[in-house]
Amino acid sequence: MTLATLQQQAAQTWTQFARRDRRRVLIGAATCGRAAGALRVAEAFRNEFARHGLPFDSDSAEAMASTGAERVLLAEVGCLGLCYAEPLVEVQSGDGSSVLYQRVTPQLVPKLVETHLLGGHPLPHSALAVMAGEPILEIPKFEDLPMIRQQVRIILRNCGLIDPTQIDHAIARGAYSGLARALELGREAVTAEVLASGLRGRGGAGFPAGAKWAFAARSAGDEKYVICNADEGDPGAFMNRSVLEGDPHAVLEGLTIAGFAVGAHTGYIYVRAEYPLAIERLQAALEQMRAGGLSGPNILGSGFDFNIHIKKGAGAFVCGEETALIAAIEGRRGMPRPRPPFPAVSGLFGKPTTINNVETLAAVSAILQNGASWYTKFGTEKSRGTKTFSLAGKIERTGLIEVALGTSLRTIVEEIGGGVLGGKGFKAVQTGGPSGGCIPAQLLDLQVDYEHLAEAGSIMGSGGMVVMDEDSCMVDVARYFLTFTESESCGKCVPCRMGTQHLLRILTGLTEGTGTPEDLPQLQRLGHAMTKASLCGLGQTAPNPVLTTLRYFAEEYRQHIEEHRCSAGVCRELVEFWIDVEKCNGCTLCARNCPVDSISGEKKHAHLIDTSQCIRCGACRSTCNFGAVMVRPRAVDRGEKRVVANV
Amino acid sequence: MSEITESVTLTIDGREVRAVTGDTVLDAARRAGIPIPTLCAHEDLSPFGACRLCIVEIDNVRGYPTSCTTPATAGMVVRTQSKELEELRNSTLELMLSGHPNSCLICDDREDCEKYRPQPAKAGQSTKCGACSNRSGCTLREMSLATPASTLNLPTLYSPHKLERDDPFILRDHNLCVLCGRCWRVCEQLHGTPAISIVNRGREARIGTAFDRSWVDSGCTFCGACIDICPTGTITDRFSRWYPAQHRELRTSCQLCPQACTLDLIVSQGQVVASHMTGFKRPARLCALGRFAYPQIMSSAVRLLQPMIREDGDLTPVSWEETISAVAAALPNYRDGSFALIAAEPQTRESRRMYEHLAVEIMHGQLFSQPAGSGPDDLPSAVRDDITAGRIRAVWTAGDYLTQELLERIEYLVVADFLPSLAARRAAAVLPVAVLAEDEGTLQTASSQIKTLATPLAARGKARSEWTLVREIVQSMGIAGFELPSVTDVVRADDREYTVAPPNGDPRDRVADLPARFRGHVLADIVPGLQALGLRATEASAPVEQLVGFTVVARDEVVPNFHRLVIEAPAIARHAQPGQFAVVMVGEKSERAPFTLVDWDKEKGTITLVIEEVGRSSQEIAKLKAGQRIAHVSGPLGLPLPLDIPADNIASVPATPRTIVLGGGCYGVGSIYPIARAFKQAGAQVITVIEGCSEHMLYMEEELRSVSDRFYLATKDGSEGRKGGVQDVFLDLYREGLKIERFVAIGCSFMMRMVAARTAGLGIPLQVALNPIMVDGTGMCGACRVTVGSETKFACVDGPFFDGYAVDWDQLFARRNAYMRTEIEAIPQTAGNGLKVLQPAT
Repeated sequence: MTLATLQQQAAQTWTQFARRDRRRVLIGAATCGRAAGALRVAEAFRNEFARHGLPFDSDSAEAMASTGAERVLLAEVGCLGLCYAEPLVEVQSGDGSSVLYQRVTPQLVPKLVETHLLGGHPLPHSALAVMAGEPILEIPKFEDLPMIRQQVRIILRNCGLIDPTQIDHAIARGAYSGLARALELGREAVTAEVLASGLRGRGGAGFPAGAKWAFAARSAGDEKYVICNADEGDPGAFMNRSVLEGDPHAVLEGLTIAGFAVGAHTGYIYVRAEYPLAIERLQAALEQMRAGGLSGPNILGSGFDFNIHIKKGAGAFVCGEETALIAAIEGRRGMPRPRPPFPAVSGLFGKPTTINNVETLAAVSAILQNGASWYTKFGTEKSRGTKTFSLAGKIERTGLIEVALGTSLRTIVEEIGGGVLGGKGFKAVQTGGPSGGCIPAQLLDLQVDYEHLAEAGSIMGSGGMVVMDEDSCMVDVARYFLTFTESESCGKCVPCRMGTQHLLRILTGLTEGTGTPEDLPQLQRLGHAMTKASLCGLGQTAPNPVLTTLRYFAEEYRQHIEEHRCSAGVCRELVEFWIDVEKCNGCTLCARNCPVDSISGEKKHAHLIDTSQCIRCGACRSTCNFGAVMVRPRAVDRGEKRVVANV
Repeated sequence: MSEITESVTLTIDGREVRAVTGDTVLDAARRAGIPIPTLCAHEDLSPFGACRLCIVEIDNVRGYPTSCTTPATAGMVVRTQSKELEELRNSTLELMLSGHPNSCLICDDREDCEKYRPQPAKAGQSTKCGACSNRSGCTLREMSLATPASTLNLPTLYSPHKLERDDPFILRDHNLCVLCGRCWRVCEQLHGTPAISIVNRGREARIGTAFDRSWVDSGCTFCGACIDICPTGTITDRFSRWYPAQHRELRTSCQLCPQACTLDLIVSQGQVVASHMTGFKRPARLCALGRFAYPQIMSSAVRLLQPMIREDGDLTPVSWEETISAVAAALPNYRDGSFALIAAEPQTRESRRMYEHLAVEIMHGQLFSQPAGSGPDDLPSAVRDDITAGRIRAVWTAGDYLTQELLERIEYLVVADFLPSLAARRAAAVLPVAVLAEDEGTLQTASSQIKTLATPLAARGKARSEWTLVREIVQSMGIAGFELPSVTDVVRADDREYTVAPPNGDPRDRVADLPARFRGHVLADIVPGLQALGLRATEASAPVEQLVGFTVVARDEVVPNFHRLVIEAPAIARHAQPGQFAVVMVGEKSERAPFTLVDWDKEKGTITLVIEEVGRSSQEIAKLKAGQRIAHVSGPLGLPLPLDIPADNIASVPATPRTIVLGGGCYGVGSIYPIARAFKQAGAQVITVIEGCSEHMLYMEEELRSVSDRFYLATKDGSEGRKGGVQDVFLDLYREGLKIERFVAIGCSFMMRMVAARTAGLGIPLQVALNPIMVDGTGMCGACRVTVGSETKFACVDGPFFDGYAVDWDQLFARRNAYMRTEIEAIPQTAGNGLKVLQPAT
């Protein structure tokens, strides 16, 4: 089968799907949407259609063949990236326009169906953007949304716009044209193209992808492997997940191209087991690839054989490290091993192996589709292209974004992200997950690319970006990341296994008010030893959250130690809550929410917290609508310090 | 065809070094004699790179690569020493030690303590070097002592892993493990799929089996390689772990099956205490018998040691001359074809040759060699018929091969064996033979090799090699030509070779293939641990339950190795006074062991003791459960500590002291409690000090605080309170200017000795509670005698409290160490309660 044949078929399916002159409802049902209730919304639509006696179809090939303009097309799509506004639903009534609704609830559905879908009148109150057509009423065009305007969606080119279970949609929008081109160009040319594009590995290390391929391509032997690292273990990172759920073919095509360039005939995708929807999508996509002659023997008649296997992870962060990942695929305990030998020389089953991140491969397919020089238009000289980021934390608009490298942090936080949640004071952005560091307010104009992040003491990592405000305690943040790395350490090497335990012990002591001035040089010393002597990246970078917060937020550490104070009001042992009588109006909300009944007061009179009963859970502070619950350092009798033997 | 190995030249520390193809940087350094510290690396294992101690600097290579994993290449420039490397290695070692009991390593009194206690305490859990069986061989300890620093800048993070004591032969104490990985790596190397690996992650990471199964259930073949390769005391050989380090090694061949694997025997004071592999590659692996059963077979408590002949119906021990004469006189009566000799394979060629001479040439009878692993049921039916029919009237058996029915038919029976059997009880003559490492000669193996046994060890008792017995008997029968001065004269070059049947399966790979018998005897009876591997014993060893006696109300391990035991003993509770002790005998055959009465409740009728597990009897107590019974508890014994001082002791001290300072260490922490309470009740100012090696070993703090006016803690590692011991706090208090009327110290002999040494000359009386060996506890036997001043006293009736400055400490230590060997041998070799008997593995 040639690609042209597939594209013909695809165009038909896609046209039917993408027509604006028919009734259609698209529901964002990736994991983020589902978590917000998208499936209940979908069910509400189906019930509503039934109630109206409206015939409707899914967008399967069979259905598409028979569907007429009057039948409603109902489909689930991937993530558009505006996760803060989920569930997102796109409705078109057939008049050529299409509106994206936000925070849709099952309660809203009957009105959506009646008024917009059937009646042709959009509901501006619940609308977020116009997906097709001119702005309606006050609803802006999607591409003009502040969150979208500055984004350059290459990796995410199809997410939220196509049905990820239909290969035709992806093909119609360019999928596999890159593979076809690669097969014509030949191995060396493909590697040269990727090298010329300047694409750097998006898993975190940032090593030029083309150079990495060249090593494995050069290695002797005709049994080689390529692996897609879809372990995505950083807490709060969901970039890879969205791509796998929303546009699996972008990755599968990239993996196949990688295999071709390197000379491998077998590819593995190592997906963490915690991504069941992604696994489902990949499996379905793989079957469709095979049916279309895009995977398996003699791909597109080129003579190139390539088989892809999906391997599920089993819940270990360390298996995102390439040699541990290789061990896991081999059926061994997921523990890293020293290099040399490097995987490019001796990797999976002892054969030359290349491992690339999901995002790198999604970029590869785009690069081969559009050419290296196209790609170099985006980003900076040393950091070409775009990068996805999962924007999370105390930000108005959390979600999945993609920007050209070199975009400033300020743009991301203030314009795209809409600024700090609730208008509170910005404190820092944590990038790179548990291996990364915090960028403080004074560096907000930092260009986000590999070099500048490293200079600031952080790393790009896989793309996690967590925004912190004045209510975040940086010591507690460091402690949080250490609880993660300490429990995920594989235990093989001493500096990481024991070092993470000691770092965690010290940080926990700091947050509990038992810290001493000796703790700070101790943290530096241990961090230094771990960075230099650990076997793999987990141990080498585990001290980063501590070291960067020490660098930029030393004052907070000092306060915790010398004043036993947590100015953010987070560290429970160091704070106590009190009610400002000026601000309290006696609404009794706090008293009713106190789990230990430590708040007393009459209605309409200022309330009082009994600090001897108070367990400092913070419920009163978060429920108070008048900001009357205040935080202050806790006065305690320190007593004799006892060294913690077991954390 | 041999490979041409190329050599490469690289530079290490400025020196040109030659390396061979395939060498790592570590290999090259070792070749050149350049030392690099390592722990997880082992010359017989593939590189692992876990401990990070062998890091080096290499030009043009980022970071600090491990020399054990980096291949040596031509022109490489390596530095093994630098300030940065030293700092990183020290940090790594410090981190490693912070996860391992380390108080002895940083204790200021370590050298003195080890001088007076040449053997570590035979504790349950190894909480410190002083309680670790691998104290003399531990690599971690060696490295740590070589690094000068007596403080650790990091607190110790103890892992609370349970002691693994339920598998046979191999004991695991994971609190000592530094996860070097050698054990599971050698297991993988020898067996393919390892039985053990690292399980869990982070601080929970430890060596374990899949799904926490027992090692038996995980396919462990009990080859013992993990024990031999473990650099700490984590994995140990249950039988031999406490034997002292001084030993010699003897390389010989195993004789428990025709495989005849080569072994390295560890011989301590003439006794084989362990058997090791000769290397860690696959061909050197051993089976559970060669590795573990071998020493226990030789040391069996029921070995035949005396030649005996039946006189007037009874078997009587006599001299060898008499025995040999008696046999030589009887045998000629059976030279008419009515004699059969049943030999036991595997046997030496010399034994076999001599038996051939005897049975066939001289006696004109028959020789049957029973195959290895066979027993009475495997005797050929022809033999059984002949015996039953009376055609065979005289039998010489070299093992347990005759059933009761057959024995009744035999007229004249000679038993040449090493263990008792039915046959031995009915024999006319019993000849105790030398076995295994006591034997001499050569072996024909199943793979047609001839192996020479090492020079034999002196046999137990009067046992002798079989071949010499046959020689003597034959000579005594007047037959010429058997002068044979040495074993090498027995088998001649022209003697025909014989084949040996190969063993069934390979017990080195499958526990199910282990032979069940040796010389006809059931192995599981000799070595009960084998029951857990599926070998059946004649009677499964079940713990003997004590059905009458004193009821255990509760037994809790308050801190590792220390057990608080509450017993119903109303009479003792009624009469107990502070300072007295009780003697506990768990079962009717147990040892009598004295323990201070820590507390008593007259209303409830209970007494409380604190027991430290340091050997057999305390281990018995440590396993007691509430509701079980103790055979005997006698007390209260000893003189209560007088609250005033006896007239013949220090002069000019008021009758009821005003300030007394008490110090307790280890079990003394419990023992000091009733003393403190009594003084408090008498109106004194009580200052109590307790010490432990580390803060997690301190206990009863609340109780002690409640009866003290001032309370102090001291730890050897400085983890809490004052770094040091009781004596240091005593001196601190003295220097404070406190007017101290009396010191009382209770703890191990070394602690009390140290207190005495440090406080001597202050003019303050010191009373210590001595703990010599004790048997009856009531003044009759004299075992507990101590020398105080110039007098001999009995600790049980004159003590246990004595003037600390007058005690002859050296004598006390010498007497306490007198039975070290016996104590080691007394420790049970099976798990005792809870030993599982498995179905034979398929």
